[in-house]
Amino acid sequence: MIVVDNLVKAFGRHHEVHAVDGVAFTAPDRSITGLLGPNGAGKTTLLRMLSTLVIPDRGSASIDGHDVVRERYSVRRRIGVLSDARGLYPRLTARENIRYYGALQGLAADALETRIDELIGALGIAAIADRRTQGFSQGERMKVAIARALVHDPQTILLDEPTNGLDIMSTRSLRSLLRDLRSSGKCLLFSSHVMQEVTALCDSIVILGHGKVLATGTAAELVAQSGESVLEDAFVRLLGSGEGLAA
Amino acid sequence: MIPRSESPTGRIAAVARKEIVDIFRDRRTMLVTLVTAIVAGPVLMLLVLNLIARQSDKVRELVLPVVGIERAPALQAFLERQQLTLKPAPKDFEAGIRSGEVDVVLEVDAGFADDVAQGRPGTVRLAYDRSRDRARAAIAEVEALLRAFNREWGRGRLLLRGIAPEVANPLNVESRDLATPQSSGALVLFLIAFYGLFASVMGGMAAALDTTAGERERMSLEPLLNTPVGPLELATGKWLAVSLLNATAVVLTLTGFYLALRFAPLPAVGIPFLFGPAEFGRFIVTLLPLILLMPAILLYVGCRGRTFKEAQSNLSVLLFAISLLPIIQMFLQRKDPAWLTWIPVSGQYALLSRALRGEALPWADLLQSYVVPALLTLVALSAVARLFSRESLLVGR
Repeated sequence: MIVVDNLVKAFGRHHEVHAVDGVAFTAPDRSITGLLGPNGAGKTTLLRMLSTLVIPDRGSASIDGHDVVRERYSVRRRIGVLSDARGLYPRLTARENIRYYGALQGLAADALETRIDELIGALGIAAIADRRTQGFSQGERMKVAIARALVHDPQTILLDEPTNGLDIMSTRSLRSLLRDLRSSGKCLLFSSHVMQEVTALCDSIVILGHGKVLATGTAAELVAQSGESVLEDAFVRLLGSGEGLAA
Repeated sequence: MIPRSESPTGRIAAVARKEIVDIFRDRRTMLVTLVTAIVAGPVLMLLVLNLIARQSDKVRELVLPVVGIERAPALQAFLERQQLTLKPAPKDFEAGIRSGEVDVVLEVDAGFADDVAQGRPGTVRLAYDRSRDRARAAIAEVEALLRAFNREWGRGRLLLRGIAPEVANPLNVESRDLATPQSSGALVLFLIAFYGLFASVMGGMAAALDTTAGERERMSLEPLLNTPVGPLELATGKWLAVSLLNATAVVLTLTGFYLALRFAPLPAVGIPFLFGPAEFGRFIVTLLPLILLMPAILLYVGCRGRTFKEAQSNLSVLLFAISLLPIIQMFLQRKDPAWLTWIPVSGQYALLSRALRGEALPWADLLQSYVVPALLTLVALSAVARLFSRESLLVGR
């Protein structure tokens, strides 16, 4: 479970850019929570604070009760992150890329190999598993990046715009993977600026704009709150302008 | 639940292992690092040695083209006694000298016999191009032989007149050459020391940049930092891998020299300087602090670059300064001051030169040369770790 309490982060020489400005929400286990917001709403910064790479100016956040600042290494052992940056090592094979992350997570060799085979099977990448990742397609890269993020079977999974640059087939297989993870009891937090993405997948939605939470709830609740009949209209109304419309 | 360990050394080993595989699969880096290491130095050295050999061979087997030598039979006999092979010069010998085919030509004046018969000095002419380095030894040799002939002839005339030859030679010059066989081949010696240093400074460069700036450029750093690996563990693992490559480059470079000196058909240059297994070992021991220090510095510079290119241009300044040190030292030529051993690169170069000159390496000096590099290695590694834990590394600022 992710608990975010009043997180604040500003960048710039005089902290004039308020990337995240007092965000609070909870993402429960066995559930997919969507972070919906236009570009520049603070989604990536928020996820980086949760994944311990960026230190908040104020407020706190915890993952399964572990504080993201004070216990950053225990947090890192509990989370799997598919960040915006998903570079692979081109001279290593897909399997070696995954194995590296497993070793860094401290998995013992036998258990690690079993786990890698399991992931390769689940993601359907057996055919490319022992090829060097140089020249992989976007979809293949994404699958390897997911496999290495999940190698230690984390309870909490953070995904930053995971469907960016994927074709329909890859997007569909990613969605079904995320649903499988949910039904096995994981806590998933996933950011997107694509409306359909979020409505198709998420149990609850947190709408971010200018670093603040504008609304939270299920898709139906958000529509009801805004008085509009479609989520897209609700989203635009909540943002207070036509900016950042979904692609 | 999958069983897991939380050992930092396990993570460091994982980083080092991955980086080593990654480095040794990078064909371009390996080619540049290893081929230049094992081939470039020895090839250059062979060229230099051959040049030296050709110069000394020229003196020994001098073939002297002559014009009209039959006009001076005494001179002809003298020169032949000195093991010179005389042969008629081609007609256009001046063109031959200009083009470098002929080093020096001796021409006896047409009126030589008449002049000598009437008691006047006979005239011989030497034609050469002194701007040609290769010809210099031959020119000097012929000039010296002509002076000797002149002296011998004069002595004979003085004796005939009942005068002791010493009267005409009040000054007696004796020279003693104090160069030992090892201290003579100075250029070759400099080459080996310089290339050894060069390998230990440059050996890890491409790999260090690839694993830092390259990691940022490929966008693989952020996911890496999401794992439980700590910044210092990451820095240490990468440093170990690059140091291993660096050590490999140094060993291969020195092996190249060793093999070239031992097995290549080397001309007998008369400089049997020492580069045997013992010197090989002394070189490694001397270069060890640099082999470990340079990767740490290269990693630091690499981390500061957002892209491989940017890091590379930052590095070139540093490397230029470093490679200048031994060259300055070589031109200073004076005895190295004692404090020099403390300074990285300069200290190592001084110790290498001593090892090559056949001097012993006292442990005290060696340890002294370790101190500063060891401290700098620690400083550089913790600086790399600090960079890895910076937020701005991700945001690209």
